[in-house]
Amino acid sequence: MKLKNNLFTLFLCMVTGVVFSQNNFTVSGYIKDASTGEDLIEANVYVKEEASKGTTSNIYGFYSLTLPEGQYTLVFSYLGYTDKEVEVNLIEDQRLNVEMGLGIEIEEVVVYADAPDQNVQSTNMGTVEMDIEQIKTLPTLLGEVDIFKAMQLLPGVQSAGEGNSGFYVRGGGPDQNLVLLDEAVVYNTGHLLGFFSVFNPDVVKNTTLIKGSMPANYGGRLSSVVDVQMKEGNNKAYEVEGGVGLIASRLAIQGPIVKDKSSFILSGRRTYAFDLAQPLINNTDAAGTNYYFYDVNGKFNYKFSDKDRLFVSTYWGDDVLNYQTNARDFQLNIPYGNLTTTVRWNHLFNDKLFMNVSAIYNSYDFEVKFSQDQFAAKVVSGIRDWNGKVDFDYFPHPKHEMKFGVNYTHHKLTPQNLSANSGDTEFELAFDPKFAHELGIYIMDDWKISDDLTVNLGFRLSSFTQVGPYTSKIDETEYGKGEPVKTYIGPEPRISAKYSFPDNSSIKGGFAQTNQYLHLVSSSTSTLPSDIWVPSSELIRPQRAQQYALGYFRNFKDNMYETSVEVYYKNLENQIDFQESYVNQPSEDVEDNFVFGKGRSYGVEFFVNKRKGDLTGWIGYTLSRTERTFPDINNGLTYPATYDRRHDLSVVANYKLNDKWNFGAVFVYGTGNAFTPVKSFYFIEGNFVPEYGVRNNARIDAYHRLDLSATLTPKPNKPNKKIDQSWTFSVYNAYNRKNVFFIYYLPETDVSTGTAEIGAYKVSLFPVIPSVTWNFKWKQKPRM
Amino acid sequence: MDTTHTEMNKIQYILAALLFLGLYACETQFTPDDSEYEPEVVVEGYIEAGDRPTPPYVILTRSQPYFSELNINNFEELFIHNAEMTVSDGDQTVSLTEICLNDLTPEQQETLAGFLGTSSDSLGLNFCVYTDLTFSMIGQVGKSYELNIETEGEVLEAVTTIPPLSEIDSLIFDPIPDPDNDTLQELTGAFSDPAGTANYYRYFTAVNEEGLLPGLSSVVDDKIFDGQSFEFPIPKAQRRTEEIDPFTYGYFLEGDTVVVKWCAIDQAHFDFWNTLEFNAANQGPFASYTRITSNVDGGLGIWGGYAAKYYEEIVPFD
Repeated sequence: MKLKNNLFTLFLCMVTGVVFSQNNFTVSGYIKDASTGEDLIEANVYVKEEASKGTTSNIYGFYSLTLPEGQYTLVFSYLGYTDKEVEVNLIEDQRLNVEMGLGIEIEEVVVYADAPDQNVQSTNMGTVEMDIEQIKTLPTLLGEVDIFKAMQLLPGVQSAGEGNSGFYVRGGGPDQNLVLLDEAVVYNTGHLLGFFSVFNPDVVKNTTLIKGSMPANYGGRLSSVVDVQMKEGNNKAYEVEGGVGLIASRLAIQGPIVKDKSSFILSGRRTYAFDLAQPLINNTDAAGTNYYFYDVNGKFNYKFSDKDRLFVSTYWGDDVLNYQTNARDFQLNIPYGNLTTTVRWNHLFNDKLFMNVSAIYNSYDFEVKFSQDQFAAKVVSGIRDWNGKVDFDYFPHPKHEMKFGVNYTHHKLTPQNLSANSGDTEFELAFDPKFAHELGIYIMDDWKISDDLTVNLGFRLSSFTQVGPYTSKIDETEYGKGEPVKTYIGPEPRISAKYSFPDNSSIKGGFAQTNQYLHLVSSSTSTLPSDIWVPSSELIRPQRAQQYALGYFRNFKDNMYETSVEVYYKNLENQIDFQESYVNQPSEDVEDNFVFGKGRSYGVEFFVNKRKGDLTGWIGYTLSRTERTFPDINNGLTYPATYDRRHDLSVVANYKLNDKWNFGAVFVYGTGNAFTPVKSFYFIEGNFVPEYGVRNNARIDAYHRLDLSATLTPKPNKPNKKIDQSWTFSVYNAYNRKNVFFIYYLPETDVSTGTAEIGAYKVSLFPVIPSVTWNFKWKQKPRM
Repeated sequence: MDTTHTEMNKIQYILAALLFLGLYACETQFTPDDSEYEPEVVVEGYIEAGDRPTPPYVILTRSQPYFSELNINNFEELFIHNAEMTVSDGDQTVSLTEICLNDLTPEQQETLAGFLGTSSDSLGLNFCVYTDLTFSMIGQVGKSYELNIETEGEVLEAVTTIPPLSEIDSLIFDPIPDPDNDTLQELTGAFSDPAGTANYYRYFTAVNEEGLLPGLSSVVDDKIFDGQSFEFPIPKAQRRTEEIDPFTYGYFLEGDTVVVKWCAIDQAHFDFWNTLEFNAANQGPFASYTRITSNVDGGLGIWGGYAAKYYEEIVPFD
């Protein structure tokens, strides 16, 4: 309660501060790309004479800066764009929409993602804007550019496994990352068992990763936020871009519907490796076997006026596997995928108050069908959300930037439902879907107390109510439709602060409490598409975490080098896992096999980032420990989590040789994954049976790998050319390191000699893999 | 229906196998750390009611570190001798006496091998088993059996029951879909599950003179088919170490004499085989471990009661 009271007093102070301020005027507007009309997110606006007076644009490109009456030079800056300076005589509130041009490559034009010293000056900790253009120059696996794999190269973020786009953040589980695409939650982020992420890089405008103190406008997950915004589409001219790779091709079309008012973007990506292999497959008994995945993204926007804009965006993507063994008359069909649709309305009440209203639908469905002779079975599972959100950005005072809002979601979660038949006999084992209401309200204020000290205060209150129809598993009470079964309420204070020093350095600290009401528990070493999201219920309490972080940030050589050291400690409550003798079978509701425990993780992250010059890149190193303690696992003894990695090193380099050639290199090193060893074998029915030892008590070999890439732009500066094109050559695992993917034991008996023995084997997956991708872009000449 | 969960398990392998297509997966042998090893007492004991009822019998061994290469000589060292062992059914308590194959006449050896369901090649080894030589306790449906063992200062306890058995209505052989293998037939059972009770089943098959072997996925519960009448496939059992031939697995050869052993077991007994078989099938990429659920307190293994029915059929010529 004490904390709440203090917070209340603080908010009161802020409001009084607002009332007493006089003679301030507001300059506000949208920051856009001059050639495409795309909103620029997190672009910086600051007063040239006094750089600490500044702000950044929100995800719709809107900014609002309130300053005392006077004459100013405002600087607008954004990655890859030429800084723009505008003289402003602030004697009344003004609307100033700014269009920024791409940086022409003249010496000394500085290009970066944010203000030169944003790293040091913002209250954000552990927040990274991923630059999609830089990501595109990094080496890839099989030629597919992947935002998530690039994210894994940051300190504190770990890959979920060899070649996998899944990730763990600061010792959190894979379900503890909130992945948003245009505000819609994406429940399944990976194609092909997670080897490729579902985000097509051609439609992604902006990706923000928050691994540190999660701001109060985000909630519902414990560990991190990945906020992905799709492009709006060029509203000045048509563009077609795409690429042809080894396993997949992409195409995106965008352009104006009504110039400067309305535009669209439409894109698709599909794999074809197995389509090409069909002639080979058709000569075998597996004829008819195929696998592919595809993604479709579409977005439309309409600007009614400077005050009202509408956005409609959608994504759908599926993986489809068909497998046949004709000699056995066996067919297997597994389709699964996401669908998201977001409708948003931006409204500007006045220069200081911006509102966004969103209506979101999203779903994830997984299905398995198989048949053999007269037997057939189908298992379905999935999740479906209806989500309504209202968010406000309020800029009441030069020292305050506030956000507040409310977010409501209706969840329907379908556990695995089995239907089968044997000839005419039907079997049905349907677990009833579970329904829930999730609500979050929040308020936060970024408060510049002085030029040196900024505090970001936030508070989020979340609640989750399981509702009927439902029959209690505890006392068999019947709940009708919509009738509340169990309600959880979670207060979530979020505080971060920054104090800067004159030598271009700062110290930052943060605390965040987070609650998570939906859980994905995997019985495998990595998440699989068949894993099932389960809601908190009368049996399952919400996961909760507290994270404390402290960091020192310093830039050198006129911000050429960014460096930071961050330490964190995270406490995890109500963690969920399967009981150790869990058998995955569709006849059981997964939640009946859960056990509950707690966890903690702590570590230190070092980061050095070179942002300027022909050679750019970073080195990130994390030293960390992640543990879990479950009364029903490992006899209650603490053990390292599957995500525990003592050392994690990433080195990323990008070298621009000339306008034609650009080179990239990535080296990663990580402590080997923990696994549960077999401690002994015994004989039952003449077979070897393993007895497992202490959970995660052994490690596979350390993981390391070097990837290289080269991008060739054949005619970079040819004027009046119609099509830009480039070739990207990549080598994955350049020195052919045999990283262990999994291990297994094989009991072997030799009847002739009467001997038996057990072999232990390490299997590695990806050898050195070269790939090439051809990318092109056609752009209509804008009519003047 | 007992293929359902093995087929489900297969899915992740098929997905994984697709990944390997076109890519090479490299395999190297290694020596794992064995510092966690400590020997534990392993019980493998059964008592059976039904067509061929048996007295209780128990094979008592020790668990081995992984690297053991076992041959005829050190195989015998697995057995624990001179244990004190009793079984009680509530009415009477019998002591189990240790007998080893080497102590028996060849005829007795055959009889014992019959009990154990082991094939004759095991007879070359000096197998030891604890049993009630008086035959005063024979498995009975509906009874509960408590096993107590004392050996080298360790005390083990286990309880099993023999639930009533619902018999298979009929067995049907049909030609398989593959026209290239026209001498093979698949076996289907017609079955009616009693409604309202939780039932657990296990099956074994034997062909010609070979011993009975459990199916690779040999157990099933009736959660999916409680109270229903239906047909289900009965794949021919094979040794777990034998490789699965995708074209012929589970099929019977025309003219073969086939024995199907169909059993009712209790839940703890089911859990043991269910976790054991799931763990055996669930190896490879992405697989985590499954701890095998034993019903033996103080040790590893299984003390299991069966109610069993034996069916003998000759695979007809098509």
